[in-house]
Amino acid sequence: MSQSAVSEKCDTNHVSEATLEKRFKLWMAALILAMFAGGGAILYRAIEGLAVTNLSTFVPWGGWVAFYIFFVGLSAGAFLLSTLIFVFGMEQYERVGRFALFTAFICMVVALTFVLLDLGRMDRAFNAMAYWNILSVLSWEVRFYLIYILLLLTELWFAMRIDLIKLSKDRSAGLKSKLANIIRFGSEDTSEKSAKKDHSWMKILGIIGIPIAIIGVHGGTGTLFAAVGAQPYWNTPLFPVIFVVSALVSGTALLIAMYVIQRKVRGKSVDLQMIKSLALLMIFFLIIDLGLEFYEFLVAGLTMKPDKMAVLDVMFTSSMSWSFWGVQLFLGAVIPIYIVFSKRFNQSVKALTVAAILVVIGIIGVRFNIVVPTQVVQSMYGLPEGSYFPNWVEWLSSIGVVAMGLFLYSIGAKLLPLETQEGDVEDYE
Amino acid sequence: MATKYDVLINNGLASGSDILKSSKYDTNLGLNMAEDARRLSDGLITEEEFVNKYQESVSKEFNQKLEYQAAVGNDNTGVKWGMVIDLRKCVGCETCTVSCKAENRTPPGVTYNQVFIEEEGTFPNVSRTNIPRPCMHCDRPPCASVCPVRATYKAENGIVVQDSDRCIGCRYCMVACPYGARSFDFGENYDEMLGFEDMQSPEHGMDRGEREDGKSPIGTVRKCNFCFHRLERGEEPACVETCIGDARYFGDLNDPESTVSKLASSSRAFRLKEEYGTEPRVYYLR
Repeated sequence: MSQSAVSEKCDTNHVSEATLEKRFKLWMAALILAMFAGGGAILYRAIEGLAVTNLSTFVPWGGWVAFYIFFVGLSAGAFLLSTLIFVFGMEQYERVGRFALFTAFICMVVALTFVLLDLGRMDRAFNAMAYWNILSVLSWEVRFYLIYILLLLTELWFAMRIDLIKLSKDRSAGLKSKLANIIRFGSEDTSEKSAKKDHSWMKILGIIGIPIAIIGVHGGTGTLFAAVGAQPYWNTPLFPVIFVVSALVSGTALLIAMYVIQRKVRGKSVDLQMIKSLALLMIFFLIIDLGLEFYEFLVAGLTMKPDKMAVLDVMFTSSMSWSFWGVQLFLGAVIPIYIVFSKRFNQSVKALTVAAILVVIGIIGVRFNIVVPTQVVQSMYGLPEGSYFPNWVEWLSSIGVVAMGLFLYSIGAKLLPLETQEGDVEDYE
Repeated sequence: MATKYDVLINNGLASGSDILKSSKYDTNLGLNMAEDARRLSDGLITEEEFVNKYQESVSKEFNQKLEYQAAVGNDNTGVKWGMVIDLRKCVGCETCTVSCKAENRTPPGVTYNQVFIEEEGTFPNVSRTNIPRPCMHCDRPPCASVCPVRATYKAENGIVVQDSDRCIGCRYCMVACPYGARSFDFGENYDEMLGFEDMQSPEHGMDRGEREDGKSPIGTVRKCNFCFHRLERGEEPACVETCIGDARYFGDLNDPESTVSKLASSSRAFRLKEEYGTEPRVYYLR
């Protein structure tokens, strides 16, 4: 058992059940409100079509696509972090293992909802499954996403199995117990031997999942962009790699934030050692990410290909450059790196959580900068320069979809045994 | 309003049976054949059925043999369409753009053809080139290779087809087209134009009826199809036919004797963005 697991024994500042219940209800009410507002915008978009967005023939992909790749990245990142635990046996992160898998699942649901919103003909979404174009990366992605979602759910089920059986026998747990009884799918065995079996299953699924998540899901999403010859900014072999690395950055950051916030809200103590180590991991990924992007820009700049330079020009100097300098670099990289390396801040859970949240916001900037600037530059000389910023319909519906994700997550976190029980943290090797 | 015009037209129309009665041939046979010919053109019966039904009576009545002659005289099998645009002849009047819009009844924001103006040099050494751009109908179309549902594909006759009944509207093809030749139909209409929604162009020979919300092609990606419906009638695409300077040539690039083949192999010929490897079927003469 790791040191950090021992260090945390009991709840330091206990919060009463009633306050917890009140907090949960307030939170859910806020989410439902956001879902209603977003739902209105989605309804408006469904009736009026894509004309109510700021999308145009010149900039056909916008905020929804950026959010889609952002959430696919979060999912892949969270899943890969979970493999550190379940495959590579880094039990110091054990506490976030199931949260990582569940977060990965919810993020995929959110990502696919964004794709659905973005389709010109939402009613034909199923065509994407019915027809297959072997040359189209997008066609492969649709299938990879589904396989990946199934894999996540299976692995999560194995991770929770014994706790589900225990819960289903616990009559005092009410709804939680009933749900556990249904989704244990008749599994009864809680023996030591079956637990070992679960772990080896999780390891196998994790091992299968690594190439699916890296090459299939997120590297694939990067390839979806990189394979487009008409967009010189995307069309580099480094692009899918950057996608995967930035997925690791955002996935790790999100898990830190989610873990800390959940523990704090419930008035439970936070494992500082683990947070510090995760924050270092996050910064490590972030620095690799920055390095890759540095070379991406450097090589593009030194080659001086006019079409590439035009995109960089839009990113670095146009009216939307605040997204690159302000969000992606300053908020998303400079401040978090400073916080994690400064002696003054890196002992504080709060500061590290702020760093993690800033990194997540920074990656949203990264995703927007991937999708939008290259489309502003038109493929043909003579076409009018595009311009794009999401309008209220896109923002409000995005808020609604994210609220839906948080809503599902909160319900799941309340009803499912996602939290690792004390003493459960053990060697996975 | 429609009924008023219907009445006017019906009054002006002569009755078929009256006309046929004045000829020496069988009136009923004429009326029946006309009726079935209409069904044939609607695709309700095949040409073979038509021929079998009337062969005997036609040879008796007219002393002529009725033969099955599908597509004779308009045989487009083995044809690979292509276009050549002479940039020295193009004056940049945009007639092609306008006639394309009229022919294909494209809504606001959707244009299959555009003319780009390129000005080079500084005064007094300046040159101006007008580059009309329809869809290039590439032999290796990037739009078709990225489409997740194969709604856009390369047809045997060289045309890059857009199946708006299958398209899901993901717009990946628009991002992937190096020529900006694709547009998304956001469902807008020309409100200032009376009856704009009343009919649509029969793209790919398909009658789509009225333009209605939620019905294809609204919400899908649209593109030039070399006026396929006109080709099937033996006509040239609208942009070729209306070009005031006769700058556009259209024909079969498979036939080495055709005008387009000869022009495309001239030393003046070039294609746009050849470095992308898309192999466009639209050639330009510099």
